[in-house]
Amino acid sequence: MVNFREKPVKSLLFLLMLAVIIVYLLFPFYWAINSSLKTESQLFMTPATMIPRDPVTLEFRPYWGNYIHIFQSGQFVRGLRNSVIVASLATLLALSVGTFAAFALGKLRFRGKTVSLYVILAMTMFPQVTILAGLYAIITRLPLGTIPGMIFSYLIFTLPFTTWVMTSFFKDLPIEIMQSAQVDGATPFQTFYKILLPLTAPALVTCGLLAFIQAWNEYIFALTFTAIDPGARTVPVAIALFTGQAAMQEPMGETLAAAVVVTVPVVVLVLIFQNRIVEGLTAGAVKG
Amino acid sequence: MDLQKRERRLAYKLMAPAMIVLLVVALYPLGHVFYTSFTDRVFAGARDAEFIGLENYHRLLAMTIEELPPVIDEETGEQQIDEETGRPVYERPIRVLPRQPHAYRELTTFSLFGTRYVLGARTPNFIRAIGNTLYFTIVSVFLETVLGLLIALVVNSEFKGRGLMRATMLVPWAVITVVSARMWEWMFASTRAGFFNMLLDRFGLIDRAIPFLTFRPFQIPAMIAIDVWKTTPFMALLILAGLQMIPQELYEAARVDGASKLRRFFTITLPLLKPAIAVALVFRTLDALRVFDLFQVLLARSRYSMASFNYYELVANRNMGLSSATGVIIFIIIFIFAIIYMQMLGVED
Repeated sequence: MVNFREKPVKSLLFLLMLAVIIVYLLFPFYWAINSSLKTESQLFMTPATMIPRDPVTLEFRPYWGNYIHIFQSGQFVRGLRNSVIVASLATLLALSVGTFAAFALGKLRFRGKTVSLYVILAMTMFPQVTILAGLYAIITRLPLGTIPGMIFSYLIFTLPFTTWVMTSFFKDLPIEIMQSAQVDGATPFQTFYKILLPLTAPALVTCGLLAFIQAWNEYIFALTFTAIDPGARTVPVAIALFTGQAAMQEPMGETLAAAVVVTVPVVVLVLIFQNRIVEGLTAGAVKG
Repeated sequence: MDLQKRERRLAYKLMAPAMIVLLVVALYPLGHVFYTSFTDRVFAGARDAEFIGLENYHRLLAMTIEELPPVIDEETGEQQIDEETGRPVYERPIRVLPRQPHAYRELTTFSLFGTRYVLGARTPNFIRAIGNTLYFTIVSVFLETVLGLLIALVVNSEFKGRGLMRATMLVPWAVITVVSARMWEWMFASTRAGFFNMLLDRFGLIDRAIPFLTFRPFQIPAMIAIDVWKTTPFMALLILAGLQMIPQELYEAARVDGASKLRRFFTITLPLLKPAIAVALVFRTLDALRVFDLFQVLLARSRYSMASFNYYELVANRNMGLSSATGVIIFIIIFIFAIIYMQMLGVED
């Protein structure tokens, strides 16, 4: 397509378009990194500078204090810890419960299968906010504690998702594998556990990663359920409610430093698994 | 015991945990919300909740239109003219809107056939929240589809570094919504320390910095800009996957027949892309209708989406009955959208 010798103008336009798209996608993130390396006075320099500059000499001068401060502040570190616990446990629970159901839905014959599939698909489209009040009532009434309550409530979006994706994966596995195992005298459960499950490992990783990102991102439940228990706040809530060390000012530098810190690991993970993620995201959509 | 029976039994056993979980985290709360929406339940209230029928729904949705009579100048016998604006003066809406049995507050005023009317609602904030959410959803999903299609078409061409480009597309998607809200909040900052004001200022387009997030006409467009940035790549990826399923032979054949590039796009690409676009549209629309994070973080209580109204009603006002009714209404609105889409796009077949 891009052939400079034959079509120089067209190729140049194409590259320009690519450049515009890349800048558009990455610039806000660059701006956050840039601003997170500025001191309060650098942040409010007008006009804003494209790199952290000294207010007087205008030399390049990054400031690491924002990053140091957020790791010294309890709220951010606690938020990170809570988020890691909540997101990983919600993912693991969804994966284990979802994979069992997905095996049944994808490979076994039983009555009510189609109905169950549609119920689960409907759940993935279900507006979470609808049941906010209902879940809030349950969680505040049960003697569970806020964090287990959050983990449990996150299953409402992680479970249908993992079940749906894993079901389509099990369906694609050749039936012969199961049949030959059965001929060898394996029970259906042994077939599932010893033969099919290892085959699904790549799908499990992708599915788990996507579910983890969803849970890591979740905000409305976390904000609502931690309203009465600030110690259980997850990272999105901590960042939304960030109050700096000095009261009465909005600590934009620290907020953006926190934003960068929580985004970088996810971006790295996503880039490592990019091919599988794209497959996972589009599998449901394209196959219908 | 025969094999089929054993298989069925195993299936039920494997399905049971998932079904129980869904029952507890989805069906039970849904039933609770539906039931509570007919009561005047208050969170942690001292007295028992009473059944109040459709009162919550009436309170949220009731609207009325009243005529605003002109204010007559006693001396001249003609309608008063405002000295500052030069416009004719009408009665103040608050004096016209009903107060008994329920108080209505002004939503907006408008003129029709020379008569001035006021549109009042019992809960203007919720009606506005519905309007804000629909505005946000329609514009942002439209822009995301167009931009997503454009990006997908560009990335679908063969060029060096295509893999890198696809990786770049995942970056905005991987940013937590709350984080992207705060990143953009800073870019939208109301002084020239903000990126957009700096840019506009540098090109000499503005005399004074624009407070994007507090000036009402810019509030929703700002939300749309952030949402479009974050979710266009997702849209583009879905469309890209659809593009890659179109067999190349079709293009070859069309080229042999002498069809122009534009013609090939409209007769081959677009029709074959319809299913992929349809699914992406459905997902994005249903998602946009429940937008919460952006509105809550950036606009708090100055402007609501349906979901953020629900949240504040529940957490700040502890009004469980009303909040539940809000949830049910959101559910119904999203359901209506889903059905319209299914009908329009023929997703079922």
